[in-house]
Amino acid sequence: MIKGKIIDHTSLIIMIFSYIIIWMLKTSFPEYSQMLTLLLYYIAIAQAYNIFLGMTGYVDFGYVSYFGLGLYGMALGVSYASQNNLSSSEAIILGMILSVILAGSVAGVVGGIALRLRGAFFAIATIGLSQALRYLIEGAKIWGGAEGIIIAKDLRKLFGEEGFSYATIILPDTGIFILAVATGIIMYLIRISRLGYGLLAIKEDEDAAKVFGVNTTLYKFVAFIISAVLTSLVGSMWTLKVTAIYPPESFNITFSVEFIVIVMLGGGGTVLGPLIGASIYSLSKYYLGVYLPGLQLTVFSIILLLIVLLFRQGIVGELRSFLYKHEIVRKIIR
Amino acid sequence: MHLLEVNNVTKRFGGITALKNVSLYIDSGEKIAIIGPNGSGKTTLFNVINGVYIPEDGRIIYMGRDITKLSAHERAKLGIARAFQITRPFPGLSVRENVMIGALFGTLSEKINTREALKIADEMLKLVGLYNKRDELAIKLTGPERKLLELARALAMKPKILLLDEIVAGMPPAKVDEIVDLVKNVAERENIAVGVMVEHVIRAVIRFAERVYVLDRGEIVLSGKVEDVMRNPKLREIYLGTRFKGGV
Repeated sequence: MIKGKIIDHTSLIIMIFSYIIIWMLKTSFPEYSQMLTLLLYYIAIAQAYNIFLGMTGYVDFGYVSYFGLGLYGMALGVSYASQNNLSSSEAIILGMILSVILAGSVAGVVGGIALRLRGAFFAIATIGLSQALRYLIEGAKIWGGAEGIIIAKDLRKLFGEEGFSYATIILPDTGIFILAVATGIIMYLIRISRLGYGLLAIKEDEDAAKVFGVNTTLYKFVAFIISAVLTSLVGSMWTLKVTAIYPPESFNITFSVEFIVIVMLGGGGTVLGPLIGASIYSLSKYYLGVYLPGLQLTVFSIILLLIVLLFRQGIVGELRSFLYKHEIVRKIIR
Repeated sequence: MHLLEVNNVTKRFGGITALKNVSLYIDSGEKIAIIGPNGSGKTTLFNVINGVYIPEDGRIIYMGRDITKLSAHERAKLGIARAFQITRPFPGLSVRENVMIGALFGTLSEKINTREALKIADEMLKLVGLYNKRDELAIKLTGPERKLLELARALAMKPKILLLDEIVAGMPPAKVDEIVDLVKNVAERENIAVGVMVEHVIRAVIRFAERVYVLDRGEIVLSGKVEDVMRNPKLREIYLGTRFKGGV
């Protein structure tokens, strides 16, 4: 799949190498472990969202829904497994499968309908989804209703008392790391493939893309599904970390906005953008929370304003455009 | 059998009839021109042929197949390529990537990978003389360069029929001749039928087309060999206006 000289794939190598460094830092400095796990979590989701938002330019405010469905998929899988005396690995696999099915089918329906709309209309059409899911779960009292699902007891039963920290720390952290790497590779492969060129053409000028032979409806749909499914898998790992999920947090639109900010800050459609965006975002969020508690949202709204006004292509995108005539830059910064 | 047949096509926008019972044909490898004053329906006609608009009435037959209801991207894959009047490069992509997209989604489509598409793109860029600018972002190109890019991108699709919207409008005369010769050579070499749409640069039509259709207020009012149509007094009346005195 990946051919040609190694230098052509520098951006992929840089990306994976950075993830491994973050992972090594995390294991070597336990005091920063929480922060670095959060960073990998943001990177994985931003990279997954990048496949849709970054590549097509469509802004989905309901994106947190796929994360939330991933949370619920794992919670349902684990509680079912514990009730039916399945093994711990069966529980995790069942949870991941449920996450993918839930997110994939909802994304299929939403994408099939909303992707007919463009720009602001698409954004508006997607805004309601996360709220609808939240109130559906609370109102219809399905999946634990407003009380949420607490799986700590189930995990203790499945993994044993000694295995509990494995199930809630080592397993999800490793899972999120693997997902971050996998999502990065998938994004890279898409970027250099026919699908990627088609998506970029859609982002640049959808009508022209159609005239030049891009099946725009199909391409957008495929990107949407891949993106939603990958995010749901990150969600499924997150459930194991938090061990209890509730509708308001699982479908909080603030997270959608957060993911949008990260992708746009780093540079939509670039391979390295999510790494840069997530690093800046999660580190500054962490430290702003410590030094300027309560003001972090104000700071981020200003940052978002600056991106939209001055750096439409994000940090990586602007840098790439600025230095585009240097061949080495084109290969390294992608 | 003609390569492309437009049969009694009517296209309306609300109360306005942009095309009224328009019929025309192009044979394989043939070069035709569609001329007409501003607002006569030329662009709509091209949009109906390549699938941007679906006509209310009439049929479009391409290689013996009814394509009236096919979408634009399906028609592109069958070999109908278009270069826009107001150039529409993908601004954030490089010149090379722009042309690659043409190759990747044109008639060769599934038969080639990105590497082969890159080769085709370079070939086309050499052909139109933009090879030195291949790694520039498309947004950095000048107006005439964008027209050349538009042409390269359309040619990279390896089309059977190429629709050129005012490709030479706004270009200096020397450049016009150059582009016309270029299109002519490629079209002859690769047996591409060309439909060129012109409003102002009649010179380009004479040098280029074998047949011409004159469109006025959505109807084809004259058609035939270039010499015959150009000599027809009716053309002066409807198209060039009564003040026109020079010979064409």
